[in-house]
Amino acid sequence: MAKLIGGVGTSHVPSIGAAMDRGATQDKDWKPFFDGYIPAKKWMADKNPDIAVVIFNDHGNSFFLDRVPTFAVGVAENYKPVDEGWGPRNLPDFKGDADFSWYFVDKLVENHFDPLVCSEIEVDHGLQVPMELLFGHPDNWPVKVLPIWVNTVQYPIPTPQRCWDMGVLLRKVIESYPSDETVVVMGTGGLSHQLQGSRAGYINRKADLAYLDGIAADPEKYRNMSREDYVETFGSEGAELIMWLVMRGCMDKDVKLIHKHYHAPASMTGAGMVILENKD
Amino acid sequence: MADTQDTIPVTPLFDRPRALRGYKMNKMANGLGNPANREAFVADEAAYIDRYGLSDEEKTAVMQRDWHEMVRLGGNLFFILKITAVDFIPITQVGAAQASMDHDDFLRDRLGKNI
Ligand SMILES: [Fe+2]
Repeated sequence: MAKLIGGVGTSHVPSIGAAMDRGATQDKDWKPFFDGYIPAKKWMADKNPDIAVVIFNDHGNSFFLDRVPTFAVGVAENYKPVDEGWGPRNLPDFKGDADFSWYFVDKLVENHFDPLVCSEIEVDHGLQVPMELLFGHPDNWPVKVLPIWVNTVQYPIPTPQRCWDMGVLLRKVIESYPSDETVVVMGTGGLSHQLQGSRAGYINRKADLAYLDGIAADPEKYRNMSREDYVETFGSEGAELIMWLVMRGCMDKDVKLIHKHYHAPASMTGAGMVILENKD
Repeated sequence: MADTQDTIPVTPLFDRPRALRGYKMNKMANGLGNPANREAFVADEAAYIDRYGLSDEEKTAVMQRDWHEMVRLGGNLFFILKITAVDFIPITQVGAAQASMDHDDFLRDRLGKNI
């Protein structure tokens, strides 16, 4: 059966991609941010997983408001990076894994999750940036991806509990998938930020740092928070952090916090990451 | 239809009233993800906007790049931000406008940068 090798939580701020594109990763504003990902990249290279499940939200690039899936799953063999309006980025296509994706979709529906199933779709910075941060810029990505989109833009967004439940199921799906492949699960988005309204520019460093420790040691706290709590604590767009709960829900109760990193601001966002491993 | 009832101060949630109200403006702005639409927008902004049936109030807010007003009228940053792919305005400038702050003050006081 396939094996879960660990969970990653990471920001996916588009400015991170833009900074990489213009070669600004060593500038004084950005160096401390990128330096914190060096150990994470090494961890990923050592683990060398076959499949990355990436949980993220679209930002008006693959979906518009004409149709807003609460959850969507990619079942394609290939995903192109979308041009978000600033021109195409120089990134290789992402290889999918249709067999694993369809297996996941079957299990979701059997267990009363009802996702939108996407056979032809592009992926925006929500998936691109975490992949670049963890795998760098190889000619071809060393893993296949299974994209899971979560609506965090138009209300009602799913509850933190629902994201968690999907993670619990994802764990069962990985561990029942007839394959000897290894899987990393990446929950993305956040940390605190708010782009709109008079509280724009809101960053809550204290809550962000507590979250990075708490998602490892005390995830119940974040599972039990309401959507409104997320918005109030982390800002309107910081509510993206509910997506890390899919990752956390698929890990054991007790985990090792292998790496954590925080830097603020990245553009207008508190940014950072964790790596978690089960204790076995 | 009930008005938006924000329970968290100064934080406009993109709920049903806003999604409905801002639909046309967001659709117009989101269209700018397409290069042909960006060209059309640059060539004749008013004509491009008119394709989407915006009200005069909405059209004026867009043409004046009044970010605060656009959000008041139901604009959502993820969509209207695509206007900055034409104008090349940094997002912090849009943020400062949302907060009604001078850009440097915004960078220092909200984002904690050393300015
Ligand atoms: Fe995002």
